[in-house]
Amino acid sequence: MKRWGLRHRGGDARKTPLAGNGIFYMTDAVPGKKYRIVRVDGGYRLNSRLCAMGFIPNEIFYVSGASRGGPLCVVVKGTKFAIGRGMAERIQIREI
Amino acid sequence: MIGKEITIAISGNPNSGKTTIFNNLTGLRQHVGNYPGVTVEKKTGVIKYKGYRINVVDLPGTYSLTAYSLEEIVARDFIIDWKPDVVVDVINSSNLERNLYLATQLMELDVPLILAFNMADVAKKSGKKIDINLLSELFGIPIVETVGSRGLGSDELLEAVIKVVSSRKRKEKKVEVKYGEEVENEIGKIISVLKKEKVPVLKFDARWIAVKLLEQDRDIIDTLKKASGPEYSKIEDAVTGSINHITSILRDTPEIIIADGRYGFINGALMEAYKEVDSGKLDVSEKIDRVLTNRILGIPIFVLIIWLMFQFVFTLGKYPMGWIELGFEKLSVLITEIVPQGLIRSLLVDGIIGGVGGVITFTPNIILLFFAIALLEGSGYMARAAFVMDRIMHKIGLHGKSFIPLIIGFGCTVPAYMGSRILENRRDRLVTMHINTFMSCGARLPVYILFAGAFFPAIAGNVIFSIYLIGVLMAVIMARVLRATRFRGESEPFVMELPPYRIPTLKGILIHTWERAWMYIKKAGTIILAISILMWILFTFPMIGNNYSQDYNGQIEKFEQSYRSGEITEDELNEKAAATEGKMAGERLAYSAAGRIGRFLEPAFRPLGFDWKMVVATISGIAAKEVIVSTMGTLYSIQEADGQSNSLKTALYKHYHPLVGYNFMLFTLLYFPCMAGMVMFRKEAGTKEMLFQIGYTFLLAWVMSFLVFQIGRLFI
Repeated sequence: MKRWGLRHRGGDARKTPLAGNGIFYMTDAVPGKKYRIVRVDGGYRLNSRLCAMGFIPNEIFYVSGASRGGPLCVVVKGTKFAIGRGMAERIQIREI
Repeated sequence: MIGKEITIAISGNPNSGKTTIFNNLTGLRQHVGNYPGVTVEKKTGVIKYKGYRINVVDLPGTYSLTAYSLEEIVARDFIIDWKPDVVVDVINSSNLERNLYLATQLMELDVPLILAFNMADVAKKSGKKIDINLLSELFGIPIVETVGSRGLGSDELLEAVIKVVSSRKRKEKKVEVKYGEEVENEIGKIISVLKKEKVPVLKFDARWIAVKLLEQDRDIIDTLKKASGPEYSKIEDAVTGSINHITSILRDTPEIIIADGRYGFINGALMEAYKEVDSGKLDVSEKIDRVLTNRILGIPIFVLIIWLMFQFVFTLGKYPMGWIELGFEKLSVLITEIVPQGLIRSLLVDGIIGGVGGVITFTPNIILLFFAIALLEGSGYMARAAFVMDRIMHKIGLHGKSFIPLIIGFGCTVPAYMGSRILENRRDRLVTMHINTFMSCGARLPVYILFAGAFFPAIAGNVIFSIYLIGVLMAVIMARVLRATRFRGESEPFVMELPPYRIPTLKGILIHTWERAWMYIKKAGTIILAISILMWILFTFPMIGNNYSQDYNGQIEKFEQSYRSGEITEDELNEKAAATEGKMAGERLAYSAAGRIGRFLEPAFRPLGFDWKMVVATISGIAAKEVIVSTMGTLYSIQEADGQSNSLKTALYKHYHPLVGYNFMLFTLLYFPCMAGMVMFRKEAGTKEMLFQIGYTFLLAWVMSFLVFQIGRLFI
């Protein structure tokens, strides 16, 4: 189940705010509301990719939709992306 | 001046309109191939402009030049290894910041660069004001405005290319992206280590290497390791030290700081040369997305669109398919009239027209299918389809987009293999291709109709449905098995751009469709022709000569005599003669190499309940599955056999137990689709994967049929 393990179905420990200082994971973003990216934590390869797509610390984004249990629709730097939950969980965000 | 040859490479983000610009430049003078050793498609074209011969190479669409994906490495290697005279970076003017990111990386590579600000009209309409001249000055790079969809700006682009090529004197470095003091210090340190250790920096620039090392670019690290041997450890130490230093001070890893530096550079320039005025217009794409990617409506809409596509391809395709079939029939008749009876005629009619004709007949389907796919991709819907289906498909270890080739597989597996190209990730693509054969294709249906009709006439529909269902089940099971074994490993994380909806250009769609169709036709004319001839030889030689078990020719003569003397009517004569000729054909086939192979292999298929005739039919099914029906007909001496043939059904019913009949359908479902399919598989995935496909589906078919027969036998 390694590969399916990434896509948890909610309700696990990672869903709580981090260290209680108002930092969340992208998966917890309320659709339509604007947030700021705090940290991208996917390893060198993935980070480079995400940065090239515009997912970079301090960038503002909003979630425009999500399929139930599936990927999120995220708008960043004027472009809409579908991003898997496994990946969205590696991006830390905070409210503005 | 005359005959000067230059090469330009077109790069750009996905959805920047790069391909449209390429199409505008080269028109139909395109060549599609692969980059050596990889399955990334390489498009090239040659144009003549003002005495120059310009080779245009379309690089894969990428967001950056890191080593994240195969496409990025291919694009980067092409620029570094082939040193094109000019790189044209196509930029979506509506999304400057993100699109310029790739441009900054090209600047770092210090290649002669031109920026094509594409979709300039859309950007202007939405209230974006770009000071092209100022921006060009700030970057030190020529910028040309283009509107790819209306073919504007191509000449200006070529002018700019020639200007850059003919004025290439300045050797001084252009504007350089700076990453801030901390990072610059570390870059300096790494450069000095590189120089001190005399590391062969090969074809690269030392500063560029240093940046790549800080970004931990796997491809560059591996190359350096190979080039410098044990000395590499010193560099590694220096790089690790730098990374730790940067991370501890700036509290982010270098690749993020460096990316930040690039965006900073871009934003610095845009601050001066770019203004966005809110046009107050509502985003149409957003509105469409609210419906098409809706939580509840998304999947039903997707299913509807795929259903429409299926209808479009196979219902509309039926007519031209009928015409082509008719054409080949006419051709057969013509050849029968001109060429005297004998081997040559048989080779032309049965071997070549039967084999190649059967494959060419599917061309309309291929054309329509790729037209539909190009339309879905060009409009932006394909990305949404993947988004909507991703969750379901991920459960069986596939990608959202896998759904499309799988559905196509119910029609014909050949275009389904080609359609798998929409999956960028090789592993996703291969798993999708390997299970596609279980989506029971249209050519297998006549076999089911024949067998289900023969053995289960009352419940034929349900029996056929059960076969389709087993196919889907096998696909799901095998997808998971393959994912857990041969294609193990975490799948590519899912991020994909959902580009704004747009109306695709007809030219782009037609070019795309034509490329695919031509590839298919070329295969039919070459390798499939060769295999058809081989199959014909197997089914024709050695020839029986006069070694029939009875004097059939004498019998036919007798029938003719009795007709002449009025004992039987003309209809009766034809019927009897046909029956006898059928018997002769059956004996000829039994005598041929294929018949002998069938007998030879019979023991291996006994445990499945098959006799040698079924084995021969299975072999003939390699040519195309529907051929099984006509082979069975020949073997049971029934002329003009088709799925509806009642006499063949009766013959089958008499010879086999229903369990064997069902088992044969199962076997037909599971083993690899056909030679055209395998040829395409090889083209798309390589010889090794094709052999794996043949081997594992055959083995699976055998094991499943073995189990069904052996277990079923206990109950009868």
